[in-house]
Amino acid sequence: MPNQITYSGMWWLLIAQCMVMLPFAMHLPIWLIPVMLFSAGWRLRILKVGVTPPSVLFKTLLLALGLGVLLLSGLVFPSLDAMAALLLLGFAFKALEAAKRRDALIIVFIGFFLVALYFLYNQTIFAALYSLASLLILVGALIGNQQHVSEFNTAEQVRFNLRVALQILLQSLPLMLVIFLLMPRLPPLWSLPMTMGQARTGISDRMAPGEIGNLSQSSELAFRVSFKNKRPTQQTLYWRGLVLNHFDGREWRQFDEDLPMPYMRSRLEASALQDDQMTIQGEPIEYEAIYEPSGKPWLFTLSPVAHFEGTALSISDYRVMASDPLQAPLLLKATSYPDALREVRIKRSTLYSALQLPKNNERSRALAQRWRKEVGSDKAYLEKVLHHYREAQFFYTLNPPRLNSTNTIDEFLFDSRHGFCEHYAGSFVFLMRAAGIPARIVVGYQGGEWNERGNYLLVHQYDAHAWAEIWLPEKGWVQIDPTAAVAPERVEKGAREALASEQGFLSTQQFVDKHLPWLNGMALRWDAMQYQWQRWVLNYDDSMRLQILQRLMGEVSLQKIAFWLMGGVSAIFMISLLSLGIWRKPKREALEHRIYQHFCALLAKRGIQREAGQVPSAFAQQAAQQLPHHAEAIYTFNRLYEAICYQPPQHRTEQLKALKQQWANLRTQL
Amino acid sequence: MTVATPQLISATLTQLNQVILGKPQQVQLAFACLLARGHLLLEDLPGMGKTTMAHALAKVCGLQYKRVQFTSDLLPADLVGASIFEPNQGAFRFHQGPIFSQMLLADELNRATPRAQSALLEAMEEQQVSVDGTTYPLPKPFFVIATQNPQSQSGTYPLPESQLDRFLFRVSMGYPTPQAERELLRGGKGRSSLEALKPVLSANSLLALQSVVPQVTVTDVLLDYVQRLIEQTRQADTCQLGLSPRGAQALVRSSQSWALLQGREYVLPEDVQAVFIAVAGHRIIGKQDSRGDQLARRILSSVEVVGSGTTQR
Repeated sequence: MPNQITYSGMWWLLIAQCMVMLPFAMHLPIWLIPVMLFSAGWRLRILKVGVTPPSVLFKTLLLALGLGVLLLSGLVFPSLDAMAALLLLGFAFKALEAAKRRDALIIVFIGFFLVALYFLYNQTIFAALYSLASLLILVGALIGNQQHVSEFNTAEQVRFNLRVALQILLQSLPLMLVIFLLMPRLPPLWSLPMTMGQARTGISDRMAPGEIGNLSQSSELAFRVSFKNKRPTQQTLYWRGLVLNHFDGREWRQFDEDLPMPYMRSRLEASALQDDQMTIQGEPIEYEAIYEPSGKPWLFTLSPVAHFEGTALSISDYRVMASDPLQAPLLLKATSYPDALREVRIKRSTLYSALQLPKNNERSRALAQRWRKEVGSDKAYLEKVLHHYREAQFFYTLNPPRLNSTNTIDEFLFDSRHGFCEHYAGSFVFLMRAAGIPARIVVGYQGGEWNERGNYLLVHQYDAHAWAEIWLPEKGWVQIDPTAAVAPERVEKGAREALASEQGFLSTQQFVDKHLPWLNGMALRWDAMQYQWQRWVLNYDDSMRLQILQRLMGEVSLQKIAFWLMGGVSAIFMISLLSLGIWRKPKREALEHRIYQHFCALLAKRGIQREAGQVPSAFAQQAAQQLPHHAEAIYTFNRLYEAICYQPPQHRTEQLKALKQQWANLRTQL
Repeated sequence: MTVATPQLISATLTQLNQVILGKPQQVQLAFACLLARGHLLLEDLPGMGKTTMAHALAKVCGLQYKRVQFTSDLLPADLVGASIFEPNQGAFRFHQGPIFSQMLLADELNRATPRAQSALLEAMEEQQVSVDGTTYPLPKPFFVIATQNPQSQSGTYPLPESQLDRFLFRVSMGYPTPQAERELLRGGKGRSSLEALKPVLSANSLLALQSVVPQVTVTDVLLDYVQRLIEQTRQADTCQLGLSPRGAQALVRSSQSWALLQGREYVLPEDVQAVFIAVAGHRIIGKQDSRGDQLARRILSSVEVVGSGTTQR
C-alpha cells in the first residue's frame, strides 16, 4: 500500500499538527488542541492495533458538534478569529480521516498556511523563530510521509528527516530573501474584521480622574523612538497624542458629542486643513517611532509635527493619527519643531471650544474669577495659579482618593489635594478657562527609558501623562505642565523613579530595580534586538523596498523590477542547477579506500604511478620493486587493505585500526 | 573448502600442463570453466591443440568422453539419438546419441547447420533432451567443449549472439611458445602422451569441487568493481552490445572459480581480470565491429579497480 500513510508518517503529522496549533491556544479556543490529539490518536490506534475507522455518520456528528461548540465559544462571526478557529477545527479533524498520502499532504499544506496565519496574531522574534521550527517539522513530516520503506529506526529517521528538511529550508532561503526584498506589498483583495480578543491597554480618547493612574500600573511598551541627530533632554519629551477640549465636570473628551471613529477621523482631518500655518522656528527634531499595536488609531509625536513619512494622517493641532486602529506595529518618521509658534491667529471655533465649561464646579470658578481680578493680567494669573500648586499642600500620588461627584475640580482643589497628573491638568485647564484664558488638555506620554545599547527611547504605558496648553496672544498655544509644578521629579526623572515609593506601583519592576539590576540590562538588550527586528523586518514596506531598489539600480520602473526579479529568480535557478553538477561533493569513500588513495598519491609523488586497471597486489609489487627498502611495509599494507576489501568481513574496526597504523608507519618511512 | 581441495586442483593442473605445453593460462581457464559449471568454446585455427585440450581434460577429470565432428550434413538426431523400432519387442526404443556423455567435444561447431547447432545448445542450456515427448536427463556433470574455426574461414555458419552467450568462456589457444613448439617437434610429448595421462578426479569429486565454487567469498567492494566493469561494457559510446545480466552472473561465478584455482577462499580483483576477457570477449560487440576481446582488454585497463566507485579518477 504505497499510497497509505504509515505509522511513523502519522506520528510526524501528529507532532507537526501539535507544533502548528500550540501557539494559537493563546488566542483561540483551547479545546481545539484536544480535538486534534483525539483525532490523531484514533488514527494512530487504527494503524497500530487495527481499530475500526470512524464511520461517515460518526464523523458528521463530530463535525456538527465541533461547529456547534465553535458557535457557542463566544467568537464574533464573521471575524478573523472565527475563520481561523474554523480552519483550525477542520485541521484538527482532518487527522481522523487521514488515510492516504494525499491527506497527509493536505495536512502539511494547511499547516504551512496556519504558520503564516499566526503572524497576524504575533509578530515578535519569538514567533518568527517558533514558526521556523514549525516549518522544519512540517517539512520533516512531508518527508516522513514520502518514505515507504522503513530502513531507519526511529531515531535515525528523525535525524535524517530533520537534516533533509533543514537542507531544503536553507536552500529556499535565497529565494525567500529575494521575495522579501523585492516583491511589492500588495493590498489585500478582501479582509475580515480583526477583533483581537480583549481591548489592549493604552491611552483612550477620554480622560476622567484616575484613568491615567490606572494606565500607570502597566509596564507594557507603548512605542519606541530613535532620534536622527541629538537626543532631546528628558524634560522636553512630551509625546502628544490627543487634545481634549470638552469637559462635562467629570470627564474630558475631544468633542462635545460621541462620534464613531470614521466621523471623528474625518472631522479631525478636516479641521487640520483649516489650521493656521505654524511659524517654524528653532531646531528641528527628526525621529522615527514604531508604535506597538494598541487597538486605537492615536499616534504620539513631539509637537508640532511639520512633516512625516508613513501610513498616517495629518490631523488638527499638528498631530498625526493612523488611518485605522493599530493592529500591527506602525513606523512613522517625523520632524517636529518644538519651538515653533502655533496658531497665532486662532479660529473662532477653536477659541470657543477652548473656553467651554460646564455649569458645575462653582467654587473653582469663583476662585479663578477672584484671582484674575486681583492680579490684573493673564500672565500674572498664570503665575499665581502655578504658584498655588507649588506652595499649597498638594501631593502628587498614584493613589489619590476617589472623586465621586460631578464637581471633581472643586473636590480636588479644595478638599483632597492628592492627585495624579490628570487631576492637575484638569483643574489647571478649568482654572484657566474660568478666567477667560483659552486652554485645553493634552494627553500622551512624557519622557521614556533610554536604551543605551540600541540608542533609542522606550516609552511605556506608565509614562502616560496629561498636561495642558493655553493660548496666549502673539505666542499662540503654549505648553504648560502643572504636574511639573507639584512634582518636578516626575518630568526630570520619569515616572518610574518619581513613583518608586508609591504603594503598588509596578511592584515586580520595583523589586527587580532594587535587587536584580542586571536583569534590567538583559531586558534592555533583548528589547534592542526586538527593536531592530521591528525596524528592519516587520516595517519593511513598499517605501523601504523602493529605497533599496533605487539605491541598487537608480530610477525604478516596472520593467526594471520585472527584469531584476526574473533575473534574480532565474539566476538562483541556474545556480541550483549548476550546483547539482559542479559543487556537488563526491560521496565520501569508505575510510579504507581513502587511505588507499592517500597511499597511491604518496607513491605517485615518488614516481610510482598506479594505472586505473592495476590491481592492488600488482601495484604493491611494482612499488616494492622500486622501493626495495620499504617492500615489507608496502606488502603488509597491501595485505591489510586486501583483507578489508575482499576477505570475508570479520573484525572490521580492528582491521581498520591496523590499516591506519600501517599507513602511518609507511608514511613516516617514505 | 576441504583440505584436499588445493592438492586436487594443483595435481589436476600439473597433469594437464604435461600434455598441453606452454599454455598454463588456457589450461587454467578451461579447468575454471569446468569448475564453474559452464561450457567452453575454444576458438582457433585447425591444429592448435583444441581437441587435445578437450581430450586431456576429460581424461584427467575421469569423465566419460565422446566426440562429435560437426559437419554441414549433421542432423539433430545424430547428436541426440533416435527412437528405432525393434521388431523383437514390437516397440520403439530410444537409442541415446553421443550427447549422453559427461564430456562432449563438439568439434568444429560452426561447420554444422544452425539446426544442428541449436539442438546442442538447447541441450546445454536445459541439461536434458526431449525426444518424441519423452524427457531424458543428461548425465552429471555435463560439460561441452566446442571448438570453432575463425569465422573468416569458408564453409562456416557463425553462431548468433544468443547462442554464444550459452558458453561461459571463449578461449583462443594461440600459437605455442618457441620452447613448447621445440618440444612438440621433438615428438616427445603431445597427443601421444594423452594415453599416459592418469585420471586425478572422478565425476563425484568434480561435482564436489563444483559445489565449493559458490562458497568463495565475494565482497561488496569486489562487486562494486564488477559492476563498474559491466557498466563500462554498456556505455553507448564504446559498445554496441553490453554484458547481459546472465553474462554478469557468469563473470562473478567464473571469478570465484578462478580464485579457487589460485587456492583462495575469496575473490580478488585480479581473479576478475583473469577471466574477464574469456567471459566478456564473445558477449560484447564494440562499435565499428571491433573485436570483443580487444574491447574487453581496453575496458579492463580503463576501469578503476579499487574503491567503491563514487569518485572517478
